[in-house]
Amino acid sequence: MSADIKTDTIDLNGKSVLLVSVKNGEGLIGTCTAGHADHSGNRSNITRLFYIGSEPVIDIICPSYGNKSADKLVSFCPGFQGYDRKVYEIITGCLNRLNSGDSLAVGLRDIFSMLQDGVYKLYISDYYPTDGNGVFFWGGYNISHEVRGTAEHNRTIGDDKVYKPCFLVPTMPLDGFNNKVLVHTEEQVQGRRIEGIVYHISGFHSALLKGHHGSVSCVEKDVPFKCAVIEKITDPYTETVVPAAKPASEEGAEEEKPAPVENHEGITGFRSPSVKIPLEAFPKDMLRLIVGGKTEYKPEHFQTIIAKLGTVRRKAVTNNILPLPVLEKAEQMPDSSMVESAYAIKSLSDEELNCLLAGDVEHNGEVIVSPNFYSSIVTACNFLQFTDTKRFVDFAIAIMENPELGATHDYVSRRVCALETNKKLYGFFKSVVDSGDAKYEKILLTAKTFVDRFEKAG
Amino acid sequence: MAFSDLKPVTAGDDKTGCTYIIGDVFAVYKMGLPTPVVYSWDMIKSASVSRREIVLTTDKDSFRISYKMFSTVEDELRAIANIECRQKEYGFSYQHEKRLFPLKSMYYECSPGKDTYTGEGLLDEAETAAAFIMLLNFRLMKFLWLVALLIALVTFGVLNFTVGITRDNILYFIPISVVSGAIAALIINIVAHAIARGRFKSLADGDLASRQPITFVVSKLGFAACESCVYQGRDLVPWEEADYFIESDKMFIIYKNNSAVAYIPKRAFDKKFIGGIADIIALNLEQK
Repeated sequence: MSADIKTDTIDLNGKSVLLVSVKNGEGLIGTCTAGHADHSGNRSNITRLFYIGSEPVIDIICPSYGNKSADKLVSFCPGFQGYDRKVYEIITGCLNRLNSGDSLAVGLRDIFSMLQDGVYKLYISDYYPTDGNGVFFWGGYNISHEVRGTAEHNRTIGDDKVYKPCFLVPTMPLDGFNNKVLVHTEEQVQGRRIEGIVYHISGFHSALLKGHHGSVSCVEKDVPFKCAVIEKITDPYTETVVPAAKPASEEGAEEEKPAPVENHEGITGFRSPSVKIPLEAFPKDMLRLIVGGKTEYKPEHFQTIIAKLGTVRRKAVTNNILPLPVLEKAEQMPDSSMVESAYAIKSLSDEELNCLLAGDVEHNGEVIVSPNFYSSIVTACNFLQFTDTKRFVDFAIAIMENPELGATHDYVSRRVCALETNKKLYGFFKSVVDSGDAKYEKILLTAKTFVDRFEKAG
Repeated sequence: MAFSDLKPVTAGDDKTGCTYIIGDVFAVYKMGLPTPVVYSWDMIKSASVSRREIVLTTDKDSFRISYKMFSTVEDELRAIANIECRQKEYGFSYQHEKRLFPLKSMYYECSPGKDTYTGEGLLDEAETAAAFIMLLNFRLMKFLWLVALLIALVTFGVLNFTVGITRDNILYFIPISVVSGAIAALIINIVAHAIARGRFKSLADGDLASRQPITFVVSKLGFAACESCVYQGRDLVPWEEADYFIESDKMFIIYKNNSAVAYIPKRAFDKKFIGGIADIIALNLEQK
């Protein structure tokens, strides 16, 4: 039975959202649960797999019985090596079509037929080709480790806000990296509309279906890595509706009681990381597909995938080495802490920063970032580092000069250290090293390292 | 979560025109309304599964889904399995009738491994009733001889009190006392058997699974006794969930908190595997 694919654009607060529904999809690309104790031995860990065709690609261990607020342990499996030619050619063809001018709905149509049943959001977004922790994504997941930013519900951002995933997980093993291909992609990436196709997996992380070499070239050439994103809409969300307060009459102003909180019967709608769609806004058939479908399910060839899970690639250790400048640039890219903070805070005025420096967490009776002072400093630093480097440096130096904020010195110094070429910072750290003042005790080592590195770089 | 691939189930109420969907969410399509009311499972306060209907209760509403609303028995079983799995995840209160097989909330998903024995079959009424009786005998035999002895002594005493024992009649009184003790024990046994059979009947009547093909799995990691239409091949009840087992000539009966959680008939497996199955169970549970 061929897949039934429908696309629809809905209007959400003046913004159009492109949705695609897939019915009777082949289920050749997707995620599925794979038991509890298969690898970790711990029954509280739930294993999820991202697969392409019959090949397991990414193993996602969800701790605490799949707690959606917990970061996941991610590791790369044998990966998609392109043995399934049909899948490989369809994905390649889709990227070519997108770059020859096709719209997302048309260009990705062949990929939709390979997805699991459900409703997906399509959009274009810039991605940082890192794991969200300063490591270039390709080859960054060879060992299973907890990856910050992979939790479905981000504690810093909160459940009520939406965010765009922006970090990558590879689907092709690093063995597939070829310097000769890089020569071609270096030219191609300059003129492309879309550099890659990604499928959202969890939290801030998406699997790169196509565009691995392109991502390397984009980083080398400082070209934004623009991706076509496929994001499944599955999570129910509930919002408390507070009815608009009636204008208070002068006489009755004192008697006016606070407006009652009105609870919507049932959930408000379904969401993915980047969009919240109220039930009423969904096209009817798409809503029926979500309500009557599964978030994820095992494909028919699940046993084949599981059987391949334990296989070790012959060329498990590759001699292919990614260009050093790419790895270095990846270290400088925003990490998940910074991106989280940017989504959690809209803006920070100078007055608010001054309040934080004075040890207050409130400004004009409102909490600036968080009631917790340490958390406020951390989030503010990350937000400034992401949005305004100059203000970040000034704020960081002001913190480190204040001995009363000693508890935050170590964290702030380590974060600011990433700005290796900043002269103002060099001046500050040089003075720290030279002064030998006891108030700088916690940042002395970091300061020495920074000064040494700066001076070596000349 | 176990049974993670269970398909959502739709039930339609012809009288009210409502359609219910029990799956990853619980949705209610009310007649005349364009948009359904959808509840995530954390909004469900309680669920109850009785012989006639499923009742799901939220803060504001209570939804009664009669079994007649489902198109097939398989759908009913899938709906119940969905609810039991969600109950484990979200912890809402759950009332249910006594079961012949483990609740779905006891299962977890895993690869059963190499040494796994799988069988399938209907639970035979006569066999299971016999197992019930065997269990009863197991308990009753401990004191049935005592009851017979007591009755014999009482009879002997009554005869002495009413007639009076002499050298002439004592040879009659002793056999009369012994026989009356034996008859009393027999009557108790017959009544107990009738009760046991009745209990099984009542249990079987209240459990839809008693009339469905069941998949039985025994592996080193755990066991399963689950309706075949629901079972997905990777769900097991870990051995730690059970306390001990009893083996009869026809069944393995697995216990938790002194009540049977699973009846695993030997008939469901190939004869040559019974030894291996018994070994696995005995390695993991105490035999009584």
